[in-house]
This record gives sequence, C-alpha cells and structure tokens, in this order.
Amino acid sequence: MATTPTTPVIALKSLTKRYGIGDAQHTVLDGVDLTIDRGEFIAIMGPSGCGKTTLLNILGLLDRADDGDYFLDDKSVDTLSSARRAHIRSNQVGFVFQNFNLVPRLNVIENVALPLTYKGMHKTKRLKLASKMLGIFHLSEREYYMPWQLSGGQTQRVAIARALVNDPSIVLADEPTGNLDSRSSHVIMEELADIHRRGNTIIMVTHNPDLTTYASRVIRMIDGRIDSDTKTPRAKKVTAPKRRLDETRKKVEKKSRKPTKSKKGKSA
Amino acid sequence: MPLLVSNHLANAFESLRGNRLRTGLTVLGVTIGIASITVILSLSGGATKIITDQVDELGGAIAVVRPGSADRETRINNLTSTLAGSQVTSSLTEDDVHSIEQIDGVKAVAPVMLIGGNISSDGKSPDGASLVATTPSLPEVTSLPMSDGQFIDSVTNRDTAVIGTQLSIDLYGTEQAAGRTFRTHGMSFTVIGVLKRLNNPINYNNIDFDHAAIISLDSGKSFNQGVAAIQQINIKAESTDKLAAITKEADKRLAANHHGEKDFTVLSGNDLSRPSNELFYTVAATLTTVAAISLLVGGIGIMNIMLVGVTERTREIGIRKALGASNAHITWQFLIESLAMSIAGGLLGYLLGYFFAFVISRIFLTFDPLFNWTIVGTTFGVSLFVGLIFGLYPAIRAARKDPIEALRQYH
Repeated sequence: MATTPTTPVIALKSLTKRYGIGDAQHTVLDGVDLTIDRGEFIAIMGPSGCGKTTLLNILGLLDRADDGDYFLDDKSVDTLSSARRAHIRSNQVGFVFQNFNLVPRLNVIENVALPLTYKGMHKTKRLKLASKMLGIFHLSEREYYMPWQLSGGQTQRVAIARALVNDPSIVLADEPTGNLDSRSSHVIMEELADIHRRGNTIIMVTHNPDLTTYASRVIRMIDGRIDSDTKTPRAKKVTAPKRRLDETRKKVEKKSRKPTKSKKGKSA
Repeated sequence: MPLLVSNHLANAFESLRGNRLRTGLTVLGVTIGIASITVILSLSGGATKIITDQVDELGGAIAVVRPGSADRETRINNLTSTLAGSQVTSSLTEDDVHSIEQIDGVKAVAPVMLIGGNISSDGKSPDGASLVATTPSLPEVTSLPMSDGQFIDSVTNRDTAVIGTQLSIDLYGTEQAAGRTFRTHGMSFTVIGVLKRLNNPINYNNIDFDHAAIISLDSGKSFNQGVAAIQQINIKAESTDKLAAITKEADKRLAANHHGEKDFTVLSGNDLSRPSNELFYTVAATLTTVAAISLLVGGIGIMNIMLVGVTERTREIGIRKALGASNAHITWQFLIESLAMSIAGGLLGYLLGYFFAFVISRIFLTFDPLFNWTIVGTTFGVSLFVGLIFGLYPAIRAARKDPIEALRQYH
C-alpha cells in the first residue's frame, strides 16, 4: 500500500465469493482485484449474474467475501464484527437503490435524516442536516411529503440526499435509474455527476451503456471477473453549466408531475 | 453505541399508531390479564388487611388455636377430601380450653363451636344464619358490643341466646328482639341480647356475627352428642409481650393433651389473617391461574403481532441495516415496541382492575380493595416481563435478517 502516495479508498485483493454447497457451489466473484481512488466515478457494467451486485454488497459491507482482502480507507474490514460493520456503514457508506427504498412510514425529511439516527445524533440536529441536504437537491418544498406522494425521479433524488447526508467516503448506487424513464434517468445522472464533482467517490452498477458517459472509469465484468477496466476522459455532460442542469430538471418535473400515477404504474 | 431510546420510542409509537386496531386488540390481551391480577391482589389484600386491623385493634395480644396442622390448610386438594371442613371433625376439646386457661398471663380464653342446622321462628328460617356455641368469656377476647340486652353469662339460663342484628331483622323484622324466641334442633331459645351491627363478615373467627345466634357451650354440646367440637379457641393475653410465651406454652400443653399428635395449630400475629377457609385458597388459586392463562394468551398475542410486524417490515429492516443500523439497534426498535404495548396494557389493566375491584367490593363485599405499592410494582413488573419475554424472539428474529435478502423483498 505504501507504494502509492495517496491511499486508495478501496482496495480489493483476489476477492472471492461463492454461493451454495458441494456440487451446487457456484462462484460469483472469482478473484477480483480492484483499486479505487478517492474521487472516482465508476460504472460497473456486465450481464446479469456476473457478480456486479454481489460486489457492490461486499463493498457496502452488507455481505462478506469468502476469500481475499478488502481494505476500506486502508483498513481491513474482513474480520470485523457485525456491529463494527454497521458502524462503518453508518459513517462511510451511502447507498442508492434501484427501487429507491425509502421507508414508506416516514416522510421525506425523516427518511433523509434516518442514517444520522444511527450515528446517535440528536433529532433537531438530524433534521437540520437533512433539511440542508434536501436544499442542495432542490427538494426543500417536499420535506414533509410522504414517499408515495413523489414522482420516481424525486424519490430517487431523496434517496441520493439520504445516501449523502452522513458524508460517506463512498456512494454505492445499484442501478439508480433502473426504475426511471429516460428523462428522469438523466436528471438523476446529472445529480450523481454533480455530487461526483463535489469530490465524492461513486460506484454505480448499471445495465445502460448510455450512462457510462457520466463515469470517469468503466469496469466490465463477466462471470465474476473483471473483463475490462477503462478510464474515460471526463464526459462532456459533466462540464455542462450548472444553470442548464437546473432548467432541465425543472422541465422534467413539470412534465412528470401531472401523470405521476400512470408513470408509477409503468415503472413498477 | 448509543441506544437511541427516545428515537426508538418515537418510532415505536409511530408504527403502533399506524395500526391502531391491531395495537388496541393486542394491548387488550395484556390488559385483561393484568386486570385480573389486580382484582385478585387488591381484594385478597383487602380481606387480609381487615383481619390484621382487627388484631391490631385488640392490641395484638390475641392468639388462636385451630384444629389441623398449619401446612395442611394451604393445600388445595383438601377441599375435595371428605375430612376437610374443620367444623366436621375437630381435634380440640374442652380439656384443651381448661389447659390454656391455666397458663400464666392468659386473660381470657373462649372456645368457639360452630353448629350446623336451621334457626327458625314463625316459619321463617333465614339463609346464612349460623349457630355458635361459646362461653361467656368470648366478648373479652373478641369485641362484641351489644345494642340491646346482655351477653350470655354463667348465671343465665341454658336455653337463652344472643343474636346478631341482621339475624334479628331476618327473624323478627326488628332489632328489638329481647324476649323473643326461636327454634333450632328441636329446642326453643329465648333471645336475651342483640349484638351491634359489626358489618365485617371476614374476621379471624370466621363467623359473621351479624348473622349468628350465640348460645352457651353446654347447649351446643347437647346438639352434638355431648361432645364439644371446638372450631377455634381464642386466647387473650394480659399484654402483648406475654403472647409469645403463652403461644409456646399452649403449644406444649396441647401437645401433651393430644399425646404428642400435632393435630392443632397455635396462631398469633399476622398468621391470624391466614384464612382457615380452604375455599379461599381454592378461589384465589383458580383466579390466579385464570389470570396467568389470560396473561399468557396476551403475551402470545404480542408475539404474534410482533412477528407479523417483523415480516411486514422486512424491507424496512433491510433499509435500516444498509443505512447503518446494527443488530442491537434493530433488536431495540422491536423490543421497545412490544414493551410499549405490554406496559400500556399493564397500565390500563391496573386501572381497569381497580375499577372492577371497587365495583365488586361495593356490590358483593363489605371491605375495600387494598391499595399498595406492592400491587403497583407487581403489575408493572409482570407486564414488563411479558413484553420482554414475548417481544424478545420477534426482535431477535428481526435483527438476524440478512439485509441483502431483506432488501430484495417486495411487498
């Protein structure tokens, strides 16, 4: 590790994950070596069953590898207790899911404040931070909406706000646009590109090759191995002026607000 | 790691409010169990307190001798035994009374013999009347104020009697019964005195004097083939500090009379309030069992609803874990929910139980239910215990859910 001047945020060494026992055993991750530096925007591509999601779950400490080493912020996390792993998830990891995964019983601001709960933060402080974070995503007016009152794009932006509220080292996104139409998808991708520009490390799993243009590095996986790993020059869309992004978003919202129900039905 | 109690509480109330009917029904299960426990504890406590108060009123210098050994009374199965009732066969005799009278420091001794049979006058024979045979010394031991006439004494005629207020009203329609007669066991008795209304059917004599006719021990013996079947011997000491010595001496002398057979018990102090009536124990034990069963059912209700809640919120558990909740956080979240239900049930049950206890005591009983912190503590402890025991398994099950599986679940 000492060879590189800046320590990478993630270092995987021949990471292996198997499912099943005996004859039915099947290797999902087959010796993955990967180093991710701070500030990278990585898109992981690959066919279904190639181990993308498993890799993401292991990176997010939701799952454990069977073999190999995983260093997060230069610390090995393989042998930690489940309580320690929860602590790391609480402090260093932010998740964005395909199906948004807001808690349906809680309103928008409570959902965003939820990760701070497990840091033991007081309620007023939690809500203050959550409100600030929602402001960044232009969702201040939606603070007291319930999740079902939002459009798909808005829901995913709330989820991204929630992923960022605890100021994580890495943001993990599992097909964040998988349940959205193409217009909302691009808003979300702009959003992710934006938070990447602010210095966040993003690791995104996607099926959609169009979205790789936002990433700074594209990793293709086949059968549990890394097939190709290409650093792309900064995509042109990232450099688009901020004002235009806002306008796009507003336009999309105007259009998507009316037919919320029918759109929901389509995406579900 | 912070426990986040206040946060979990808010969370629990939020989710309990979300399912009002379900929560209400679950809480009701615990409420009923705790209510029955409160009723039993407060009423039996109230009954016991009456007797202790009576003893305290008399300066505490009272001891009684009852037939049967002490540990025998607490067994429920004695109720079904044919030899159970202490007035059917009694091991206490007149000799025992005389032996006790001779002990130093004894102020008065009064045997109490309960005789079965009807008391009738002019074709009226009131239910629940009891015939008691005793000696003139009874009022010295037990407080029996007269409202009219005099108590039986050594010079009064054999076939005279003293009756309680209520019996007087039942028989003659008036409290002024001196000079009237009643018949029992084929003999006629003249009333020479009426007792003041005592209104405490529960006392250490186990006789409701308001409904009793008191006759001399000689008359009583004549109804029982000349044998005194003494239900209880009351002893009054000259002072409280002599009571211990008297109890010990009485025990020794009676043992000698009975050839070493321990078929009697000398009781004093708080032991007096131990009801000799085995029915009391049976009823209390039955009610306690019923309360325990309903509490068990209530607890199972909590567990059931919590398991449903855990399944319903599998996805939420997954989300929370992904956002940094540890297993302990999830366990506490669900445990606090079940505790909130059981403690709410306990609180409601306590209030409801007191309400019922008061209603019962007003309608059927002559004493008030007992209030003390032991009952508060017991009901609170029991409801806490129920919530903990029946909430722990669902909570642990929730905490053990694999976050990846949990997140994959749609509903």
